[in-house]
Amino acid sequence: MNSEPMDDQTPSESTGGGQPDVSYPLAVNGVRYPVSAPSGALLLDVIRDHVGLTGTKQGCDDCECGACMVLVDGRPVNSCSYLAAQAQGRAVTTVEGLAGAVDLSPLQQLLLDAGGVQCGFCTPGMLMSARALLDSNPEPSDEEVRIGLSGNLCRCTGYDTIVAAVLQAAEHIDATEV
Amino acid sequence: MTDTVDTNPVDQSSGEASSSSQRHHRRFVRADGPDKVTGSGRYTADLQLAGMLHAKFLYAGVSSARIRSLDLEAARQVPGVLAVLSDADVPDVRYSPAVADRRLFARDVVRFEGEILAAVAATTVEAAEAAVAAINADLEPLEPVVDAEAALQEGSPLVHEDWASYEADEGVIRSGNTASFSSLSRGDAAGAMASAETVISSRYVADGCHAVPIEPRAVVAQWEGEKLTVWTSTQVPFDARAGICETLGLPTNRVRVVVPHLGGGFGGKCGFHFEAHIAALARAAKRPVKLVFSRAEEFLAPDRRREAMVVELTTGLDSDGKILARTGRLVLDGGAYLADKAFFPQLAAMQATGPYEIPNLDIEAHLAYTNHQPAGSVRAPTAPQGCWAVESHTDELAKAIDMDPVAFRRLNGLRSGSTGPVGQVYGDIGLQDCIDTAISALIPDGDPDDERAGDLAEDEAYGVAVGWWPSFSMPSGAYLKIDSDGKGQIITGAQECGTGAVMTMRQLAADEVGMDPEDFELVYQDTSAAPYDMGATGSQTLFNNGRAVMAAAAQVADQLRQLAADRLEASPTDIVLNDGQASVAGTPAASVPIAELAAEAAGGSLLLGHGSAAEVTYPTVTATCVGDQGMAAWLSPQFSCHAVKVRLDSDTGVARVVSVAAAHDSGRILNRTGALGQVHGGIMMGIGQALTEGTIYDEQGNQRNPMLLEYKLQTAADGPRISVDFIESYPGEGPAGAKGLAEAPNVATAAAVNSALAKLVGTPIRQMPMTAERIWEAMQTARDGDPYQGGSENGTEQQ
Repeated sequence: MNSEPMDDQTPSESTGGGQPDVSYPLAVNGVRYPVSAPSGALLLDVIRDHVGLTGTKQGCDDCECGACMVLVDGRPVNSCSYLAAQAQGRAVTTVEGLAGAVDLSPLQQLLLDAGGVQCGFCTPGMLMSARALLDSNPEPSDEEVRIGLSGNLCRCTGYDTIVAAVLQAAEHIDATEV
Repeated sequence: MTDTVDTNPVDQSSGEASSSSQRHHRRFVRADGPDKVTGSGRYTADLQLAGMLHAKFLYAGVSSARIRSLDLEAARQVPGVLAVLSDADVPDVRYSPAVADRRLFARDVVRFEGEILAAVAATTVEAAEAAVAAINADLEPLEPVVDAEAALQEGSPLVHEDWASYEADEGVIRSGNTASFSSLSRGDAAGAMASAETVISSRYVADGCHAVPIEPRAVVAQWEGEKLTVWTSTQVPFDARAGICETLGLPTNRVRVVVPHLGGGFGGKCGFHFEAHIAALARAAKRPVKLVFSRAEEFLAPDRRREAMVVELTTGLDSDGKILARTGRLVLDGGAYLADKAFFPQLAAMQATGPYEIPNLDIEAHLAYTNHQPAGSVRAPTAPQGCWAVESHTDELAKAIDMDPVAFRRLNGLRSGSTGPVGQVYGDIGLQDCIDTAISALIPDGDPDDERAGDLAEDEAYGVAVGWWPSFSMPSGAYLKIDSDGKGQIITGAQECGTGAVMTMRQLAADEVGMDPEDFELVYQDTSAAPYDMGATGSQTLFNNGRAVMAAAAQVADQLRQLAADRLEASPTDIVLNDGQASVAGTPAASVPIAELAAEAAGGSLLLGHGSAAEVTYPTVTATCVGDQGMAAWLSPQFSCHAVKVRLDSDTGVARVVSVAAAHDSGRILNRTGALGQVHGGIMMGIGQALTEGTIYDEQGNQRNPMLLEYKLQTAADGPRISVDFIESYPGEGPAGAKGLAEAPNVATAAAVNSALAKLVGTPIRQMPMTAERIWEAMQTARDGDPYQGGSENGTEQQ
């Protein structure tokens, strides 16, 4: 009888172990970071472990929870399922890239005010999906917001406060500022 | 006032009548909010320490087996591996509350697939995985015990063959595979049943399910000399510390448990789990060690999933529709180890009565050992399943006597002054108000059975259910200090798991000392900094730690009044603390800023307070409670009514919850934003349990859907329209009249969904989750005649 680790990912799938390192610059939040990582390294792992930004979270292993959502050239992607090397020459935005030096972005503040943050673990991914939605659709309907956020699981809030905050952000602010 | 979030919950305090509630209802600012929206907040998996190693576990992978041999040598030779541990490498300790039935590592036998055989620490994740793969475990498979009802039969193989030798608390009744048993008896159930006009029997079966916090758990352990620090994603840091101390033989003052931000728990992160494994690895490797779970591990390894339950109820009614008697038998699938759930049978029995007047009662509840993953406290343990069963049964009772189901609940439901099913006499309670409020919020003319009511389409129906849940009194402590600049810190043992309960402490403290909540920061989730608190469990944080913080703040308020009295030449009893000023009552001109008093105190006797939650006397019960675990008398009981509108696609069996109106009596609401968040989140979790969330086991006791692709949570796109009302006029024993709240919203939703489905399908759904397949099957059954009618063991029996 085989006993085995429950995590059925092989090292090469999860981290690119065993593959030669490749070096390239990675632009995250407007800063070019020199990265040296296995060619199969995932964008999530490179952002967290090589670049050193831990706001992007890992909640699952298979694109189901959205906690690892980042923007690549403005498009939302699950960074757990995106090769870091693919992001070469593209602009990666993480939650750390949303706020100004001092103030929260309007969407961050509205999300807090609405009670849309509880444990906070889904919050970075949720903010990135909301940002991508408002960038592409500055005046979304309630239903469009719900569909736009449906790739981000939240277990705490029941979503209504998050949806309300995104709708308020769309209503009150220029989408370029969210 | 009905709260819907799209009307901006921040402003919902407007219109509050009393000044004290206005005080409590002011705008709520989460102290941890900026950390969480900017990504700067640290969760356990985000921590990095110099020289840190990575841990991986070898799990049994089978649910029942004898360990023939376990060879770790090859694993120890893998480059980069610094420690490989199994049962032989840790102290010989069996642990767990109530019944010590568990070891850190399996010894001789494995009892569920997630049992840990060995643990590895290595310089990289890859090396740790390679070492785990190199371990040679020779397991002889045994016939697993996978059916909780069969487990209780004579002759079933025993999950714990030597349980009689385990240390156990007195009150825990065990025999065979019964891990814990409770019964509630009052009056003469058999005699009353014989005299009843109508007798209905029902059987309902709920699958187990999972807490599914979005953060998979993580643990980091570091030794400095003989002192251990563990950062861990636990809801109960003091419990985790106790487990570490017990299993590794350490005194509490050499173990510090710190919880960085916690990414949700819902009960799944209660208890002591993997902290000692990682601490043992760190000691053996002489390096800090970090464990981060995959989602699959989060599903499979913890001893906290929601218990599967079989509920059989028989209820007798008199000719007026009043409940005369109820008998019931409940079987809970407890899985391989008892974990924290010795009290679950008694809680389940209380759910089987529901919040009704029942003069004659005979309920027994069995918690069975099986070779499934151990169950444990998940948000309102036993309640969503128990309420679903008893409320579906209640609808069957009303239907049998052709009574409106809401009228039936109004007639039989508890009211102020009622004697409850176990003989507890209730003071002012809000159940009847909850029923009225929820129904009028959802259904314009108040009749959930009127097909023409409101805007119901042909494929829609209303459903209504009521629920109840206790508040728990627990020891809890806090310190409070104000430093020289007039800024304060609350140092509390309480644990924040997202609910905002700890965040609310700033309001309670500020109100006592007349300052702003934002004048206080929180020091929390650190066992070496703060006094004991039970943690984010049992909805107890605000109820108990709130009283501790108020007591600590009251001491500082007294110190401020004394300083102000000296300064203003008045009596301390005449000093009013408000708006950052200490002033003489009736002479507002005679005042001094609190910050000035703080500066003065900093050069003298300091502003320091400490407080603990005073013990509360529990109400008495008159029922006979065999296997009593102290859960029959309910302190500050909470009541709720959830009314739902459900739409059913009759071609596919796919049900959708369109809207939910919830009314809750959780006492005085101190933080409306936080309270609304609890109710909304609880409802969504309840809908998930109702429709999609269930653990699927194969015949060998292994989970078939330990992944989010196959275990579906509700998404934003699934969300119904939700409205929430709080019935606040029933103060209990909690701080400023608050009761618990975090679990109560997770009680009644699934039951209300089945209430609606029963109307659409023609029969209640008797298995939960009520998946499309099960609903579709019930539709065929209803169409072809219910084979369960008339005495089948699986269905409703009408006599």
